[in-house]
Amino acid sequence: MPSYKLVYFNGRGRAELSRLIFKAAGVPFEDVRLDSSKGEWPGEWKAKAPFGQLPLLFVDGKVLAQSKAVARYLAKEFNLAGKTSWEQARCDMFIDEFEDIGAEVYKFAFEKDEAKKAELSGKFNSETLPRHLGYLEALLKENNGGKGYFVGDSLTWAGLGIANVYDLLGGTDAPFAKFPLLLALAKRVRENPKVAEYLKTRAQTPF
Amino acid sequence: MPTYKLVYFNMRGRAEFARLIFAAAGVPYEDSRIEMNGWPGEYKDHCPFGQLPVLEVDGKVLAQSIAIARYLAKEFNLAGKNNWEQALTDMIVDEFTDIMAEMKSLWFEDDPEKKEALTQKFNTETLPRLLGYLEAILKQNGSDEGFFVGGSLTWADLGLVSINDLLSVACPGSFNNFPLLAGLIKRVRETPRVAEWIAKRPNTPR
Repeated sequence: MPSYKLVYFNGRGRAELSRLIFKAAGVPFEDVRLDSSKGEWPGEWKAKAPFGQLPLLFVDGKVLAQSKAVARYLAKEFNLAGKTSWEQARCDMFIDEFEDIGAEVYKFAFEKDEAKKAELSGKFNSETLPRHLGYLEALLKENNGGKGYFVGDSLTWAGLGIANVYDLLGGTDAPFAKFPLLLALAKRVRENPKVAEYLKTRAQTPF
Repeated sequence: MPTYKLVYFNMRGRAEFARLIFAAAGVPYEDSRIEMNGWPGEYKDHCPFGQLPVLEVDGKVLAQSIAIARYLAKEFNLAGKNNWEQALTDMIVDEFTDIMAEMKSLWFEDDPEKKEALTQKFNTETLPRLLGYLEAILKQNGSDEGFFVGGSLTWADLGLVSINDLLSVACPGSFNNFPLLAGLIKRVRETPRVAEWIAKRPNTPR
């Protein structure tokens, strides 16, 4: 088994999906969390980063960047990426949609002007998010009536991705009120024994 | 061979990457282009996320432009020879996506003063920095005539050609200080199948 090191800040952010993949697969890894306030980032790490950013994955010392490329690599290594080329592409499609949701959140998450932040988050919650979740709910329903998973008949990183979106949206059921299949899937994934164990013990962080 | 249909607007935009992959692989497909005044029309209901492009493979549907491009690249052996190489191509393609995201945030800035300042910053700082990272990857590979990954053409190289389509219009001259990138773009554009596609593709503003 190769040695894995995942390097990020002390938060969920763009590394949490990879952490969930490691945990769901039961594969050990070094979970390095850098403290910028102590200069750990940039520190010596930035020079090792192909695009000057985190997260980074080191596999036996070789480096990979870009959070989705990292997560996909791990998902494929641990058979959590879909069983055929088509299923893998469908997983990729769902992951890209989650990324689109994340990008919308980041638009206002760091907005300092309170009035503008309220306006943007209001539009997100009343219009943008329901539209995205609506598409996801319909797609989930197409697969075995939505009682199972997004793709195929077993857990993939797409399922872990919606569990991660659940946290991104605040870790409560509320955003999913009108999307019962999505909520049920997110909860099923979060109750997967290895995932649940991780969720109980992971560091509580603001992001 | 499956039947492929790629559906998008009549422009290069987010579908050109897939079109370049079809071209490089020499695989036929239906290049379906919807006129803007025909959208949303009936087709929108076929789209998993209500957006284009969409790829139909024997009638099954795939959305999200990069997921589409990656699927085709893998089908046509243009994605990297093993999981690690594929991950490296993914990483490079994600960087192109980041460059495009930076450009989009410029275009959608309404305030003219802010837009001017952001555009300046993008052209003089952000874009050179991001292209510099990509140039460094080529340099590390150690050959002037190289490709991004694995010593042969992959979709990462075709993605560079695709983003050059965009940058050559929006930010002319952006590759002037990046000879390895410029060289790779030229070499890939001049390979027979790619050159043939570029010569015959519809000439659209973007």
